[in-house]
Amino acid sequence: MTKFSPYFAFARKSFLGRSAYRFDHFMGILNTILRIFIFWEIYQALYGGRAEVDGITITMVATNFILSLGLGAVFYVNDYYLPDRIQNGSIATELLLPVNIHGRMLADNLGNALFQLLFHFIPAVAVSVVFIRIAAPAELSMVFLFLLSALLGYGVLWTISFAAQMLSFWLINVWSVMTIKDVFVNVLSGAMIPLWFMPDWMQEIIRFTPFSSIYFTPVQIYLGQLSLMEILRGFLIQTLWIVILFSVGLLLWKKGQKKLVVQGG
Amino acid sequence: MKNDTVYMVGVYTRTIMKSWFQYKVDAILRSLTVFLREATGIFVIYFTLLKFDTLNGWDIQELLFLFSLLFLTYGILIVFFTGLRDFGKTVRNGGFDRFILRPRGLLFQIIFSNADWFAAIGHGGLGIVLFVISAGNVGIVWNLRTVIYYIAAVIGGVLIQGAIFLLLASLNIYLLETKSLKDLLYWNMRKFAGYPVSIFHKAIQFCMIYVVPFAFINYFPAQYLLRKEDMAGYPAVYMYLTPVIGVCLYLAAYGFWRYSIRFYKSSGN
Repeated sequence: MTKFSPYFAFARKSFLGRSAYRFDHFMGILNTILRIFIFWEIYQALYGGRAEVDGITITMVATNFILSLGLGAVFYVNDYYLPDRIQNGSIATELLLPVNIHGRMLADNLGNALFQLLFHFIPAVAVSVVFIRIAAPAELSMVFLFLLSALLGYGVLWTISFAAQMLSFWLINVWSVMTIKDVFVNVLSGAMIPLWFMPDWMQEIIRFTPFSSIYFTPVQIYLGQLSLMEILRGFLIQTLWIVILFSVGLLLWKKGQKKLVVQGG
Repeated sequence: MKNDTVYMVGVYTRTIMKSWFQYKVDAILRSLTVFLREATGIFVIYFTLLKFDTLNGWDIQELLFLFSLLFLTYGILIVFFTGLRDFGKTVRNGGFDRFILRPRGLLFQIIFSNADWFAAIGHGGLGIVLFVISAGNVGIVWNLRTVIYYIAAVIGGVLIQGAIFLLLASLNIYLLETKSLKDLLYWNMRKFAGYPVSIFHKAIQFCMIYVVPFAFINYFPAQYLLRKEDMAGYPAVYMYLTPVIGVCLYLAAYGFWRYSIRFYKSSGN
């Protein structure tokens, strides 16, 4: 317990820190609801009254957007945790602390994520399902597997950012790296176009990227589209990406630390 | 006294360019990043339409043309109106007090003393690319009449958004903090703006046409040139109103600005 207590304190601090900006937070929820609503309207026009397209009903599409965009709000990652500290030099003091900096990054993000889950995801999804019909989970057990897969999905998104943040040892303009990373995540993760509707050749490419593991795997599990074997395979792929990306991040971290020069300290 | 205006605009522009392009590789990279970030929605609509062919009767080329107007007008807008977009910051850090002490027009200084060149190149560049891709493939006959209409519509679209920025900047004088209001009235409404307004719920359509008139920036001008079926739902005269609305809104916002400026109190610094 005492081993983890500092991390718990970091998480708690970031959780509480979020409660300070109420109006901004309210605008954030509105933003998520509007995004869900816009995609819902677009897909209603695209479906034009058809019951289904390629075996996908509009309710499944709506569920995809509500869950992906809702989870998108929960999956809080501060892309600039390390870059900011490298740029302003506080990384030096940070390294002297008797806590693991990666653990601290994760704790800080998890505190935020928990806050987002309670005060962003739940209200945004609650409002959305009043106006838009969401599919019920395929089975009750799927809800549990969905949550597990969503947790792993967060892990994939977090480790992508983790590895990308390490580039700030070498690059000054991290903003471009992060923004382009977000473009890839947005287009290829299923958050803005359900991956069922991606052209086949794109699906082949996406299969070899970590992006579909973030939102699409959990959504498919929720909808009962995957058999038990496929679910296990999904978990395995998610875990594999977490391990790969985290290792890449650690490798860059080791190399980067040697290169680090803090001016003035 | 007044005849050095052109000279001052020149000096301002050169200074701004120098500061934005101090690091050339970085500047190119940042502009390119804005371009890609803004293109996200375009990639998404492109892939979606590979599956669905049309969105309420609009094919992908027509949608790209619709989007191009939105990006092009913002690209031009931001060259002139960055100072108004970031006006809240100028008020809070006391920069506005300095403007007041100088012997030149306030709006002149705000407009010409800053320009977000990365956004201008990113948005404007995307607008141009989309225009080049689509303009020859959507059945528009480009003659003197359509070219003049197009230019007038782009200027109108810039003025409409300029008026919104000017209005929000004026409100800054009373409120100090208008970021959330700007998010609500401008950025959130803009999310709807790339798509044909006819696909949205009546309440949203009402907002897009009569409250924050984004529909006049791209939808109605595009309709004049494309004549899609869904135009039947709106009065035909709307296709001609963009320049008029642009000028009227801008003049109204300017009047409000002149009125509000008298109440300015420094935030102290």
